[in-house]
Amino acid sequence: MRTLTTRMKVGWAVITVVVMVWALLPVVSIIATSFKLPSQLNLGTFWPKTWTTTNYEQIFVGSAKDLFLPALRNSIGISLIATFVAVVLATLAAYAIARLDFRGKRLILTTALGVSIFPVISIVTPLFNLWRSIGLYDTWLGLIIPYLSLTLPISIWTLAAFFRQIPWELEQAAQVDGATPWQAFRKAIVPLAAPGVFTTALIAFFIAWNDFVYGISLTSTSAARPVPAALAFFTGASQFEEPTGAISAAAVVVTVPVVILVLLFQRQIVSGLTQGAVKG
Amino acid sequence: MGRRTRHLAAVAAVAVALPLAACAAESGPPTLTWYINPDNGGQVEIAARCTQEADGRYRLATEVLPRDAASQREQLARRLAAKDSSIDIMSLDPPFIPELAEPGFLAPIPKDVAQKVTTDVVQGALDGATWKDELVAIPFWANTQLLWYRKSVAEAAGLDPAKEPVTWQQIMDAAKEQGKVLGVQGAKAESLTVWVNALVESAGGHVLENPEAPADELRLGLESDAGRAAAEIIGTIGREGLGGAGLPTADENATMTVFQRDSGSFMVNWPFVWSATNAAVEDGTLDASLVDDIGWALYPRVDADTESRPPYGGISLGIGAFSEHVDLALEAAQCIVTPENQAEYFATNGNPPASTKAYDDPAVRKAFPMADVIRESLEQAAPRPQTPYYNEVSTGLQETWHPPADVDPDTTPRRSTDFITAVLRGEALL
Amino acid sequence: MTTSIPPGAGADARSRTTPEPDPDPGTGTTRRGRPRLSDRARDEARLGWWLAGPAFVVMVAVTIYPILQAFYDSLFSYRLTAPDERAFNGGENYVVVLSDPVWWQAFAVTALITVVTVLVELVLGFLLALVMHRAIQRLRGVLRTAILVPYGIITVVSAFAWFYAFDISSGFVNHWFDWVPGVDPDLNWFAHQGTSLAVIMASEIWKTTPFISLLLLAGLSQVPGELEEAAEVDGATWAQRLQRVVLPNMKAAIMVAVLFRALDAFRIFDNVFIMTNGANGTTVLSLLAYRTSIGRLEIGLGSAISVLLFFCVIGICFIAIKLFKVDLASARGEG
Repeated sequence: MRTLTTRMKVGWAVITVVVMVWALLPVVSIIATSFKLPSQLNLGTFWPKTWTTTNYEQIFVGSAKDLFLPALRNSIGISLIATFVAVVLATLAAYAIARLDFRGKRLILTTALGVSIFPVISIVTPLFNLWRSIGLYDTWLGLIIPYLSLTLPISIWTLAAFFRQIPWELEQAAQVDGATPWQAFRKAIVPLAAPGVFTTALIAFFIAWNDFVYGISLTSTSAARPVPAALAFFTGASQFEEPTGAISAAAVVVTVPVVILVLLFQRQIVSGLTQGAVKG
Repeated sequence: MGRRTRHLAAVAAVAVALPLAACAAESGPPTLTWYINPDNGGQVEIAARCTQEADGRYRLATEVLPRDAASQREQLARRLAAKDSSIDIMSLDPPFIPELAEPGFLAPIPKDVAQKVTTDVVQGALDGATWKDELVAIPFWANTQLLWYRKSVAEAAGLDPAKEPVTWQQIMDAAKEQGKVLGVQGAKAESLTVWVNALVESAGGHVLENPEAPADELRLGLESDAGRAAAEIIGTIGREGLGGAGLPTADENATMTVFQRDSGSFMVNWPFVWSATNAAVEDGTLDASLVDDIGWALYPRVDADTESRPPYGGISLGIGAFSEHVDLALEAAQCIVTPENQAEYFATNGNPPASTKAYDDPAVRKAFPMADVIRESLEQAAPRPQTPYYNEVSTGLQETWHPPADVDPDTTPRRSTDFITAVLRGEALL
Repeated sequence: MTTSIPPGAGADARSRTTPEPDPDPGTGTTRRGRPRLSDRARDEARLGWWLAGPAFVVMVAVTIYPILQAFYDSLFSYRLTAPDERAFNGGENYVVVLSDPVWWQAFAVTALITVVTVLVELVLGFLLALVMHRAIQRLRGVLRTAILVPYGIITVVSAFAWFYAFDISSGFVNHWFDWVPGVDPDLNWFAHQGTSLAVIMASEIWKTTPFISLLLLAGLSQVPGELEEAAEVDGATWAQRLQRVVLPNMKAAIMVAVLFRALDAFRIFDNVFIMTNGANGTTVLSLLAYRTSIGRLEIGLGSAISVLLFFCVIGICFIAIKLFKVDLASARGEG
C-alpha cells in the first residue's frame, strides 16, 4: 500500500467525516427525537432537553403496545417468509438461467425486469378487490404474495449473476477425486453459491421490510398490518396530539435490525447489489 | 319406522349434537369487534367493562383504526363495500356517517333503542348522527371547539370573552395591535374544512344548500355573503401573518404549541388542549403560570349580533349492516354510551360526552372546569355538510381554500364552487 | 433443490448434482455446445421451465392479472360505495383524467422530481463511488457501512426523520441553519411548493444515492486500470482522464443506473404521502392514483390513472432503450 502523506491523511479524514455525517445525521436525529418528552418535542433542539424512555415504554408496554407489537411480529414474519420463498424460487430460476440453454430464458429475464419497474400503486386496487373476494385480504399470505413481486425480480438477477461466476468444473474435479455427486455438490458448489444466496436474501429482506403501499392498502387489523403502515395509527395522548415520539421510537426499533445487518454484512450487500444490476 | 330405529336415530342425534355443543361451549359467547379511533386507551377500557356487564352474552373486542378521520373512513368504507361481516360496531366521525348510511352499510337503529339513546343528548350530536331524518348512529361523545385566550392579551385589548362574546374582527385586531399570533388551523387537512364550515355557518350560511341531494344536483352556498365573510377572515389572517409562519401547516397540535408560546393570544381548538397543557406543566416543560393565564369562551362570532355556530366533532357508534350479531351489537353500543362511561371517558381521555347528564359528574367538573361552556357550545354547534359525498366536498374545500394567504373573498368562493361542482359531476380530479 | 433435477436431463455438468453416478464425467464442459440432439434441447428446455416456471408464474400472476383488471375497471364509472350505479362509459375516464390540469400538474411534479433527483444522485453517487474506489482499505469498510445505512432504512422512516427535522414546530434545521440566507426560525418548509419539494427530493436523494453509487462503483471497477495509468503517463490531467478514459468506459453502468433510478423515482409515493400528502402542489402521480381509487373509492377513475401511470413507465423505458440505447442485457446480467 502507498504511504500517505499527512495532507492526504487529513483529506481522507475530512472526506470520511463528511460522508458519515451526511449518511447518518437523519438517523441520529430521529434517534434523538425518540428520546424526547412529548411536551418537549417543539423546543426546536436537536438533542432532548431531558432524556426519557417514555416513547419506548408507550410502544412496548404502554398504550401503543397492542398496535406496535403485533405489527412488529407481522413485519418480521411476513418479510422473512417472503424473503425465504423469493430466494428459493429465485435460486431455482437463476440456476436454470445460468446453467441451462432453453427458449424463454430471455422472456423470464425480461419479465423480471418488467415486474421490477411496475408501478405498485397501479395494481393495489385490483389486488384489494381480488383479495377480499378470495379471503386473502388482511392476511399474511395476502402480503407475502405481492411482496414476491417486489423481491423476486432482483433476487433472480442477483443470483443469476452469482451463479454465472461459479466455476462449475470444480464439481467434476471433486467427483474425479472420488466424491459422490452429492458430496461434490455440497463441498464444491454450496460454499461458492451460499454467499450469493445469502446476499440475495439480505437484499430481498430489505425490500420486503421497506414496503408501505401494500401494507396500508391490503391490511386493516393487527392480524397482518406491518410496521410502516402501523406508524400512521399511532396517536398522542389524545386524538389531536402528534404522535411524534411514538413514531420516532418505533422508527428506531425497525431501523436497528437494518443497521445491524449492514454492519455485519456490508461487503456482501455491496457485492450483491452491484452484481445483480451490472455484471461485474 | 320401528321404535328401535327411532331410538338409534335419537342416539345418533345426541352423539352428533354433543360434540357440537361442547364445541360451542368452548368457543364461548360471540365476540363483537368494535373498530375504534385511536385514543388514550379509554375505549379499550369501556369494552372490557361492557364485556363484564354482558355477563357471558357477548365479548367486546377492539380493533384500532388509523389516526386521521379520512383514513378511518377509507378503511371502513372499503370493508363495508365488501360486505365485511367482522365489523360489528364502529366509532365514526360524524361527517362520514351519511356516506356509509346512504348505501345501507349501517344497520338501522330500532325505534325503541333510538328513543333511549337520544334522551338528554346535546343537539349537535343528534344532528350529526341523523341522516334523512333517521337516527343511523348512536351518539357517544361530542366534541366542539372553544375560543381559548390568554387573559393577559385579552385584557390588554380591553376584551373579556367570558362575559361578552367576541368577534373574529376583535381578536384579529387585538393580535395585530399586540404583535401576537392567532391560533387557527390552516393546514391542508380536515381541520381546515372545520374552520371554513364554522365560519360560513356562523355567518348564517351553509357550505351545502341541499346536502341530501345526489352528487350532480348538490348546490354549494359559498357564493354568498356568508361565504365571502368567511373568505375575508381566513384571507386576512393569512395575508397579514396573524396566524404566524406556521399557519399553512398548522394542525390542532401545532396551533396549541403556538398558543403556549409567549406570542400566543387567541386560539380556536378542541378541549384536548386543556389536558395537554396541564400535562406539559407537570412535565416541567411549561411554566405553571401559563395555566392561570388561559381563559375560555364560546367560539368567536362573525357578526357581533349573531350567535356563532362552533364546529362539531366527536364520535358516534355505527352498527355494521353485515354483522352476524346486530342485536348484540346494539346492546353493546348502548352499554358503551351510558352517561357513566361517557363521564369517565371525558375525565380520563378528555373527550366530552354527548349526554348532557355526564357533564354534572364531579370528576368531569374537576378535570374540565370549562365543562359548562363545552355543553353550551355543543348545543349551538353546526355539523359539517352531511352528504354521502362529504369526502369530495371537504377535499375540494381544502384544495381551494389553501394556503390561507391566497384566500380572497372575490375569487375563492366562486373558484371552490366551480371546482367542487366539477368534481362531483365526475368532470375533474381531486 | 438440485436433487429435483431428473436424471439424464442432459449429459452436461448439472447432472453431476443428481445422485446417479455419471458414467462419463468428461463431457460436462460442453454444455453450450449446441448439440444436434433435439431431444436433449427439449429436455433442457423442460427442465429450465420446471425450475424457472414457478418464479415466472408468480411474477406474472401478481402483476399482469391486476393491470388487466385495472384496465377493465378503468372503462367503467364505478364508485365503491355506490356499486349499483356502476356503468360502462368507454374511455370517458381517460378523457376526464387527461383533460384535467390536476393530472398534468402531478405529471410535471413527478417528472421534475425524477429529473432533479436522478441528476443530483448521479453526481453525488459518482463522487461517493470515486471516494469508495480510491479509499484505503481501512476506510473503505467504514464508508460502505455508512452509506448502506440510508439504503437499508425504511423509506417511511426516512420520510419521518426528514419531516421532523424540517418541521417548523419540532425541527432543528431552522435553528441550526439560520445563518443561511433565507433560512430562519419562521421558515415553514412545508408551506410552499418549492421548499416542500426540496425537502422531499432531499430525502429521496439521501435514501437512494447509495444504490446508484454502488452501481457506479461497480462500473468504476470495470475501467481498465492500465488505460488510466497510460493516460496518466501521457500527462493527462485528472479531468482529462475522467472525461476521456473513465466515463466512456462506464457508459453502460451509468445508463443502467440512470434508468433504474428514474423508473424508481417516477413511482415516488411514501415520502410525499408522509410529508405533505400532496399539499402545496406536491401531488405526484402515484399519490393521485392512491387518492382517487383508495381515498375517494372512485375505482373507475383511479384505475384509469393507474393504467396511465403504467404507460408512463413503459414510455420511459422505451425512450431509454431506443433513444439512449441503454444496454439492458448488461442489466440482466447477460453482458
